[in-house]
Parts: sequence; C-alpha cells; structure tokens
Amino acid sequence: MKLLRAIFIRLLFGAVSLLFISLVTFGANELAPGDAALIFAGEKASVAQIARIRHNMGLDRPWPVRYVSYLENAVQGDFGRSYYGVQEPVSNIIKRTLPMTAKLASLAVILSSAIGITFGTLAAVFQKRIADRTILTASTLLITLPNFVLAPLLVYLYCLHFNYLPQTWSEPLQAPEWMYLVLPVAILASRPTALVTRLTRTSMIDTLQMEFIRTAVAKGVPRGRLIFKHALRNAILPVITAIGTSFGFLLTGSFVVERFFILPGIGSATIEAIQQSNMPVVQACILVTGAMFIVLNLVVDILLPILDPRIRESQV
Amino acid sequence: MSSPSTAPAKARKKRDWFLIFGATFLAFILLTAIFGPAIRSAQLNNGAKSFNSVTTGVGQPYEAISAKYLLGTDELGRDMFARLAQGARFSLTVGVVVETISIVVGVLVGVIGAYAPKYVSTPLMRFTDAMFAFPDILLAILIIGIIGPGFTPVIVALSITAWPSIARLVLTQTATLKDREYVIAAKAVGASTLYQVTRHILPQLVGILLAVGIVDMAGTILAESTLSFLGIGIQAPNPSWGSMINNFRSDMNSHPGALIPGCAVLSLTIFSLNFVGDGLRSYFDPKSS
Repeated sequence: MKLLRAIFIRLLFGAVSLLFISLVTFGANELAPGDAALIFAGEKASVAQIARIRHNMGLDRPWPVRYVSYLENAVQGDFGRSYYGVQEPVSNIIKRTLPMTAKLASLAVILSSAIGITFGTLAAVFQKRIADRTILTASTLLITLPNFVLAPLLVYLYCLHFNYLPQTWSEPLQAPEWMYLVLPVAILASRPTALVTRLTRTSMIDTLQMEFIRTAVAKGVPRGRLIFKHALRNAILPVITAIGTSFGFLLTGSFVVERFFILPGIGSATIEAIQQSNMPVVQACILVTGAMFIVLNLVVDILLPILDPRIRESQV
Repeated sequence: MSSPSTAPAKARKKRDWFLIFGATFLAFILLTAIFGPAIRSAQLNNGAKSFNSVTTGVGQPYEAISAKYLLGTDELGRDMFARLAQGARFSLTVGVVVETISIVVGVLVGVIGAYAPKYVSTPLMRFTDAMFAFPDILLAILIIGIIGPGFTPVIVALSITAWPSIARLVLTQTATLKDREYVIAAKAVGASTLYQVTRHILPQLVGILLAVGIVDMAGTILAESTLSFLGIGIQAPNPSWGSMINNFRSDMNSHPGALIPGCAVLSLTIFSLNFVGDGLRSYFDPKSS
C-alpha cells in the first residue's frame, strides 16, 4: 500500500513535469517571430491570403485553445510540418534521428554503469592505496575535461595516428556500424563514468564501516561474498539515482558528440533547425528529448522504493 | 597510515597549491583578455591605421609557431594568440555577467522564498524546482531558438538556466540562519525584516556565494563554449574557444596541432576556476570539505 502511494506521488510529479515542458516548448513557438501561416503562404502571399491560411490552420484561435490542440496532436505523434525543404512532417524527422541518439545514450549508460560501479568498488576496497588514488585522480580529470576537448584527443589517437577507427559518419558506411560508434559512446560515457565511480566509492566506504558488515566479517563471510553480496547491494542505491540524473549530461554530451562525429541524431537535427529558425522542428526535438529525460528519471524514481524498503517507509 | 591530525593539514597544503596555480592562471588569462587583442593588433599592424588582428588575417593559413605568430595562425591566416585572447574576453564576460545576474536573481528568490508567506513562497519555490530540473542545455537551446544565436542571446539563455541552483542554496542557508539566536535577538528589539536580511543574513552568505559563483562560472564558460562549438553561440567572425575548436575540427586531418592551444586554454581555465572556487569554499565553509 505504501509502495503504491509512493509510486503514485512520483507519477503525479512526472505528469506535472511533462506538462511544464510542453508548456515551455509551446511558449517558445509563441515567442518566436513569425508563424506557420506566414511560412506556408510563401513570400508573395497577400495579407488576406495569409489571414485565410492562418484561419484554416486554426492559428487565430486564443492561445489556451491552441495549447490544448498542440498537446492532443503531440500525444498522437503529430508535431506539424517542417518550415523548409519538402516540408515533411516533423514526426518523420524525429523517427529518423531519435534511434541514433537513443542508441548512443543507452550504450553510454550501460558502459558508464558497468565501469563506474566496478572501479568505484575497487577504489573503496583498496581505500587510500595506489589503485584508489589513481582511480580518484582519473575520475576528477574526466569530470572537468570538456567533451569537445576529449574528442579531438581520442580522434587524433585512434583515427589519425593509429588509424584503427573511421573518423566521421558518412553514408554509405565504409566499416561496420559499431566502429563508428566506439569513440562517440566512449566520449559520451566519460563524465557519467567518473561521477558513478566517485559516488560508488563514497557510498561503499560508508557501507563498509557499518555494523552489519563487521558482523558479517566476524561471522567469517568470505571476502568476495562480503563485498558483492552484503556491501555493494546496500551501497548501490544512491548510485542508481545518479545514473538517472546523468541522463542530463548525456543530453549535453550527445549534442556535442553528434556534431563532432557528424552523426545523424536528434541533436544534429535540433542544431540544424535552430540555424534555419525552423521552429516546429526545434520545438518537437526539445519536447521529445525533454520528455525522454523526465520519463527515464521517473523510472529510476519508481525503482528506488521498490528496491529499498527504507525509502518506501520514509517517503509517504 | 598518517595520524589524523596531519592528514587534513597535508590535504590543505595540496589544495593551497592548486589554489595558487588556479589563481595565477586566471590572472594571466584576465590580463591577456584585457590587453592581448590590442597588443597583437599593434604588433602585427602592416602599416594599416585601424588594424584588427582578431578578425583580419595577414599570414598564410595554419602557419607554424614563430616569433611573429606566437601560437601560429588559423584557417584564414589570422593570429591564433589574438583570437584566443578575444575568445577569453567573450568567455570571461559571459561568465561574470551571467553569474552576477544569477546571484542577484537567486538571492532575491531565495530570500523571498524564506520570508514570504506560504502562498507566495510555495509557488515560487515549486517554479524554481521545475526550472532546476529542466535540463539546462535544452532550455538554453530553446531560448536561442527563439531569439537567435549571438553574444547577448548566450548571456540571456545561460542566465535563465543558472539562477535556480543559487536560489535553492540561498533558500536553505537563509532558512537556517533566520532561526539563529542573534537574528531572533535583532527581531526581538524591533529590527525590520529588510534590516535582518541585509545586516545579519546576507553578510554571512557573501563568502559561500563567491565560492559557488566561481565554481558555477566554470560551468557557464563551458556552456558558452559548448553552444559556440555547436554553432549557435558566438557567431563568426568573432572568435570563441568553442567555435575555434569546431573550425579546426574540419581540418583536423591536415592540421591536428591547431586544436591544441584552444583545447588547452579552455581546459586550464575550467580547471583553474574549479580549483579557486573549491579553495575559497573550504576557506569560507570549513565544514564542507
């Protein structure tokens, strides 16, 4: 019962956040100069023609009415049409570019969780020794190093100097797809990896000092079992929250990485749309990525009380 | 194992060295940003009266480092040093202006959140939380989508994304400080709320706000470089560290070395701001470290 209530509250917060982001993207289009009628009427249209098109598109209705229809359409996956080019539906652009970004982000999350938790645990177990110091220094460096400084460094090493990997995405692909994704995913994962490492380390150090661990040691639990079964399972919870929030860094990172490697993802689509002031595309890209961010954090938030009875008890 | 009394002292000494390094580097960048472009223009002046070394190229593209071109030239034969110095000017200006705006707004919102009646403070702080949770980069990109790219739009976009974290910090700090005995004593002898806030609470926050502002400035400068790298920040022919890195990216196969100065300066500035901010923080707020 308590669990259900905790989940319900979180779902409610998630829904409010989604509404907020939809309102913000809707407002952005309102504030931007020009509207769809002006664009679709073309440059030679008269004022009366523009007004007629505006009326036919329903753009002359008051804004709350248009916001509701914007929401209805968005829920059904209709984001209007692109202003330029063949004026294709924006949903097609999203469908074409989102899989690439989703692939990059999910691979980066898996990579950073695996490496981060492993190294964080290692650092905690060998606390204050060389392994720990090295891991700490490396992770501090990775947290502050910007993605677009790390990227040229790795590209120079692996693409130009050793010539192991292809440099930028260009269709038709000259090599298997994974070879194009190795560096982008590694760069994208760098900062989350460092954050997860540090957090796992702190959390593990705290857990290893707890009394139930001392009891387990006294009882003669083997070391491996003690660390992975007793300590890590307790230490992992704050790490899961951090993995959720690191999606925010992944968003920033994917914009940079997609531009650096010229990958056809949603980040590239957004930037291109901004440079053309193609507002429907900008609006939809931000709405979709923002909604993804909120939903992923919601999933993490719902996982927490399921995994940890203490959270379930404390937050009702 | 070192004894508990020397370990923190050792750590503090190490931190002091980082602080000194960071402060020295920042002073160097600041001086270069102020005087660099003009000095380079005067040195490279080819007889032209109003010569601008930042936007006008007089050399061959990608010249090597020499006595004439301290850090070589860029893809249009412009002096790399002058462009980096001008980039520093843009980055530091964005950093200082954005942090000033976000501290002013953050302090106002935080203090109102702590003192105003519930029907004002609750909606205000919920709004702050919503803004805080909204991914910064998406909001900044959206704002630039509305008003178009450029120097001022970058400042506007980053100010709008930066203030919520300051407001939350000020709210929690003010909420604890306002129940301290000396504040209650001031209230008891009839001090107005404005007097309590300006004389007893804000002076306590100056140090921590300075430290947090400097650490946040590293984030702001990084965000400005990111936007410029993406091509929606500071626009050509004006240089920004981010857009310079993006320009050299396309010629990376033939001239990988051109990337080094920009990347190094940007990374060192970010490191230094973090060192100085952390150093100040542990000075003003010893409990935090």
